[in-house]
Amino acid sequence: MSTTTYSIDTQRPGVSFGRLIAVEFRKSFDTRAGRWFTGVVVALAFAAMLIQALLFVEGFQDLNDFTMVGNGVIGFFIPIIPILLVTQEWGQRTALVTFTLEPRRMRVVIAKLIASVLVVLGVLVVALAIAALGTALAGGVRGFDVDWSLSAEMLRNVFIGNLIAAILGFALAMLIMSTPGAIVTYFIYMFAVPTVLEVAAAFLDWFADVRPWIDFASAQTPLFSTGGPSGEQWGQLLVSSLIWLVLPLVLGVWRLLKTEVK
Amino acid sequence: MITVENLTKTYGHYRAVDNVSFVCRPGSVTGFLGPNGAGKSTTMRIIAGLTPADSGSATIGGVRYHDIPNPGTQVGVLLDASAQHAGRTGREILTLGARTMGLPTSRVDEMLELVSLTPSEAKRRVRNYSLGMRQRLGIAHALLGDPKILILDEPANGLDPAGIHWMRQLLRTYADRGGTVLLSSHLLHEVEVIADELIVIGRGRIVAEGRKEELLHAAGTYVQAVPDHAERLTTALQSAGITATPRDAGLQTEATAEQVGRAAAAAGVALLELRRAEGAGLEAMFLQLTSDTQREQPTTGVSA
Repeated sequence: MSTTTYSIDTQRPGVSFGRLIAVEFRKSFDTRAGRWFTGVVVALAFAAMLIQALLFVEGFQDLNDFTMVGNGVIGFFIPIIPILLVTQEWGQRTALVTFTLEPRRMRVVIAKLIASVLVVLGVLVVALAIAALGTALAGGVRGFDVDWSLSAEMLRNVFIGNLIAAILGFALAMLIMSTPGAIVTYFIYMFAVPTVLEVAAAFLDWFADVRPWIDFASAQTPLFSTGGPSGEQWGQLLVSSLIWLVLPLVLGVWRLLKTEVK
Repeated sequence: MITVENLTKTYGHYRAVDNVSFVCRPGSVTGFLGPNGAGKSTTMRIIAGLTPADSGSATIGGVRYHDIPNPGTQVGVLLDASAQHAGRTGREILTLGARTMGLPTSRVDEMLELVSLTPSEAKRRVRNYSLGMRQRLGIAHALLGDPKILILDEPANGLDPAGIHWMRQLLRTYADRGGTVLLSSHLLHEVEVIADELIVIGRGRIVAEGRKEELLHAAGTYVQAVPDHAERLTTALQSAGITATPRDAGLQTEATAEQVGRAAAAAGVALLELRRAEGAGLEAMFLQLTSDTQREQPTTGVSA
């Protein structure tokens, strides 16, 4: 066949992974909804910091304390970031464009996940900045004796916690493919499921021993507590993650790769 | 070149695409014509690798869409002009495309200018775009990567007559430079204006294909004699072996205008009208297709 008939160049470099990640990162912030969402979350964290700095009694004025509270507020909303990033493709039907520009869907999936993690890292940096401001206020305005040291272990734990939240949101978004559906499921996950498990554990003695290993939400709590998880608690986090995080992630990726894009 | 071979796609018991084969060649604009729900969009989604086919194959330049590196720079695809995030601006949508393909931002401005979207329109959110503006934006997006092949699903939908002629100009120039275009439409007149080649599809099957002129002229000749020669014309055509059926005040034949004219002259029949029965055959076939697939059919005669 002559080259005029075969007009497709199969030797051309494909869409680079870096570009895909950059584009997905941009998609998190290029709509009014995305920007408002980010702005409101940061404003909430800022308000929480002000309350903590100006109204709390002495004892919560260190940088570590502010980081924990600030991240607590922001972390609550972290899963929404990947949920919006994934479900907008179906809700707004932009998947038609996304997957025609990069038909290898798995690369888009990984790019979206990395973009979400980058946003989560950014959130941690913002939380730190707000915490520093809070610490300065507590020291300057209130005259408290503040400790500016930052625990590396705490930062790591908080990051792991945020990462789990992001991946969970990501997995649910791919599995459910609808923004409200994924958000509601996330809150059921974090609030309804632990309650049910707790009630079950109260009635069934044998289940009380099993529960810490399958209660995903409770297993994450030590990550955000002073001191961090113990060895056994890390194990419980790992085991419960397999059920509540890895399984939906695998099913979600499978669904996204198989679904017909309309 | 787009090659579709024996493509079949079934949803449950519904066969959306039924053993469809066709070829779109470089240098021509191929119109994919059919009523709504005939299988046009499904076929195009299969070509673009978004919908898996049950059987058959669709390749572009001999390659499956999935295997085309940086496909946006080789095949321009517009499957649904409304499938864009309503909260993004027109410019942002093109910027995302340009970044994915690795193109400079200047390309965005060039494309906006090409489809006549003004800078202030480009800054507006797509939510506030008319369908015509969305189509222009979609075409700009398809052309961003300077592809040699275009696949456009209902691109003229929502365009005003001036817009349709603009699109004809655009695609004509594109095809004349060696580009391949496949565009779909559910309106015969749109495709008549824009395309050179026609593929007509109904209920998932291809019912006609060929060059536009051939399909339009296949309808034959319309002839009308002066009133007092009408009977002699019928006889003249019969004796010349030309089958004719009454239509309007004259006769419709399958023969060429020359054959009819010579037959009439030989019998000394004075003609009032002799012309190619343009589009009548294709239009009739298309109407038939449309009414077959439409839910509301005009009831003949009796009213309740």
